[in-house]
Amino acid sequence: MDTLRVRAVQVLSVTALLLAWEGVARAGWVDPLFVPAPSAVLRAFGRIGGAALAGLGDTLLKTAIAYVLAVVIGVGGGILLGSVRPLRQAVNPFVIALYGMPKILVLPWIVLFLGFGATPAVVYATIHGVFPILVLVTGAVRDVDRTLVTVARAFGARRWQLYWKVVLPAIVPTVLAGMRLGIVFCLLGVLVVEMFAGVRGMGYVLSSLANGFRAPELFAATALVSAASIVIVLSLDVLNDHLSQWRGEPR
Amino acid sequence: MSELIVVEGVSKRYVTSSGPVDALRDISLSVGGGEFCTLIGPSGCGKSTLLGMLGGLVTADTGRVVVDGRPVERPDPRRVATVFQDPGLFPWRTTLENVEFGLELRGVPAAHRRRVATDLLGPLGLRDFAAKYPRELSGGMRQRVAIGRALAIDTPIVLMDEPFGALDEQTRVLMGEWLLDIWRRMRKTVVFVTHSLHEALALSTRVVVMTARPGRIKSVLQLPMPYPRAMESVELVALRAKLWSDIRDESLRAMGEATP
Amino acid sequence: MKVLAIRVAIVVALLGAWEIVGRTANPLLYVPPSAAVPALGRLLARDSYPDLAEHLLLTLREILVAYALAIAAGLGCGFALGFNRLVGRAYGPILAALYAVPAVVWYPSLMLFFGLDAASKIAFGFLLGFFPITLAVLAGIRQVSPQMLLVARAFGADGLTAFRKVTLPAMLFTLVGGLRTGLALTVIGVIVGEILGSKSGMGSLINHAYGLFRTADYIALVVVTLVLIVGSDALASVIEHRAQRWTE
Repeated sequence: MDTLRVRAVQVLSVTALLLAWEGVARAGWVDPLFVPAPSAVLRAFGRIGGAALAGLGDTLLKTAIAYVLAVVIGVGGGILLGSVRPLRQAVNPFVIALYGMPKILVLPWIVLFLGFGATPAVVYATIHGVFPILVLVTGAVRDVDRTLVTVARAFGARRWQLYWKVVLPAIVPTVLAGMRLGIVFCLLGVLVVEMFAGVRGMGYVLSSLANGFRAPELFAATALVSAASIVIVLSLDVLNDHLSQWRGEPR
Repeated sequence: MSELIVVEGVSKRYVTSSGPVDALRDISLSVGGGEFCTLIGPSGCGKSTLLGMLGGLVTADTGRVVVDGRPVERPDPRRVATVFQDPGLFPWRTTLENVEFGLELRGVPAAHRRRVATDLLGPLGLRDFAAKYPRELSGGMRQRVAIGRALAIDTPIVLMDEPFGALDEQTRVLMGEWLLDIWRRMRKTVVFVTHSLHEALALSTRVVVMTARPGRIKSVLQLPMPYPRAMESVELVALRAKLWSDIRDESLRAMGEATP
Repeated sequence: MKVLAIRVAIVVALLGAWEIVGRTANPLLYVPPSAAVPALGRLLARDSYPDLAEHLLLTLREILVAYALAIAAGLGCGFALGFNRLVGRAYGPILAALYAVPAVVWYPSLMLFFGLDAASKIAFGFLLGFFPITLAVLAGIRQVSPQMLLVARAFGADGLTAFRKVTLPAMLFTLVGGLRTGLALTVIGVIVGEILGSKSGMGSLINHAYGLFRTADYIALVVVTLVLIVGSDALASVIEHRAQRWTE
């Protein structure tokens, strides 16, 4: 199957869609208030460019902070829970329950508690991002190949060596998978808080554009944040692939 | 020759969900330096448990296990190295890095480790695979890496728990020949667990036959014949018959049928 | 036994701490269990929010409609992408890229287009539920062993028969898993949509209580919503287990 044919289909269908959309908008078949033409969206990029990028930067900064926290707590907690069996058995049902619970339900309380601004966003996003990482890492530590542990013990490995040389390398693929999930969860968390109770950031920008019925600007801003998100996730995937190659794993 | 490994009155009982299970009962045996001692017996006879005791991974309920004059309480990588049936190579390490593992744990400096491991690759037949990862190696190669890892720490004793169990017949025979070569060159003491009669007869200087569970020593055969073994010779054919008759009863018992 | 004891101890400790903090700290923020429980009672007795039932029903309706749409579109797209190699390879990566975008990004646009009513919540719920279902269909089709299909063809089965008798049963387990995830996400989508801006539905009530600092009522509403969520997932889980028994 040709990569060329695949590319052709993709490019052609997207172009056709855009042209049709432009045509429909110009013919007046849709209300430009709700569905702006692609050309209008393009022009809107220029108008809101500065504000949108500032908002995006703000959002990404909060996301980064929350992400670091989520990874540290998630991986650390996962290793702890994965290694200490009684602790894991006692705590696991709570973790699973909390993981499955939509955290949006506690968001109003968090905002009541922490007010508006960056803090609730970071806190909420951290909570959002921690759980998938925690659950994945706990499972990975628990499921480390028993044979490898026995081998290490047979060669006289002390406890810290066991962790450093066997457990940690063994869980790297899972940690990477968790990190990839985590970034989307954290970004989502920040955006939700910004929409709910924000004064800055992309979520707030999108919200106010929607409230102001500024459709072209809204579409432009949405496209911007979507593109940023795709780029971030794709870069993580590429990083992931390179790391796997270096570790000799199948991609 | 002073006995390097002494096992006296050793027993082991496991508590399982279906009640207590006696894996070993009152085992006593000794292995001299430089020997190739094979433990053979039906499934569940406790040979792996016994090997685990020699390696310090399993503690005996009664009796004592003494290696090189010292009682065994925990794994001692200065005296005993172990090779398991599952090679247990670390998938994120190359062949060289896997072979170096024991040396790394011991804190040997990197350059020296690298040299020891690289020197071993020749006899291991893995010189072209130094930078490959386990998933790029065949089963036989992986087991050779595992054996290399055990040899790298240069212990007087090497324990092997059915190392060729997962390989096909031809590979097993070739690996056996290769192992003999290594054993004689490096003058190790090997304790080898198998359920293959052929391996026991082709490789060992001494064969210990164990009974079905609870495992006891049924008989000990000395094999002073020279290497490489002439498997069709009169003595070996007779020994094979003796060995088989010893094992057959125990295998039947292990399978749950009474001896005729 | 010891494990159970630790769990009970944790729950008791948490409730105890909550109670103590609730009594001593800011009553607007910290509502102790002793105040939350009666609030729940008031809620269920239609005291604090008399039209609770209507809102609950509205939320349920939104969920059902969104989910039905998600299933229809998810199955349709999934099979279209799964069975036509060119289409699948062309649009698969586009789908995966879109999935990498946090869905809440689309919500303001949906609110602009559909307004604050149920329609935007349904649209958002649909959007969230659509992806896991489509991806599950794709994954399910991919894991059907070509060997099995070969056998079917060798016995003279045509396309449709092979699909019905081989592909469908083989992928049922993965498919049902995706349907379950899709339901969970649709539910979350509808509720998030309501909380972020609506005039009716459980989310709007939660917003209302929060806005008026009626923290006890807010907790009670959260509990009721949680029951709704857990209940729907439990139902889905039961169906999933039935499907499991069929395929294994």
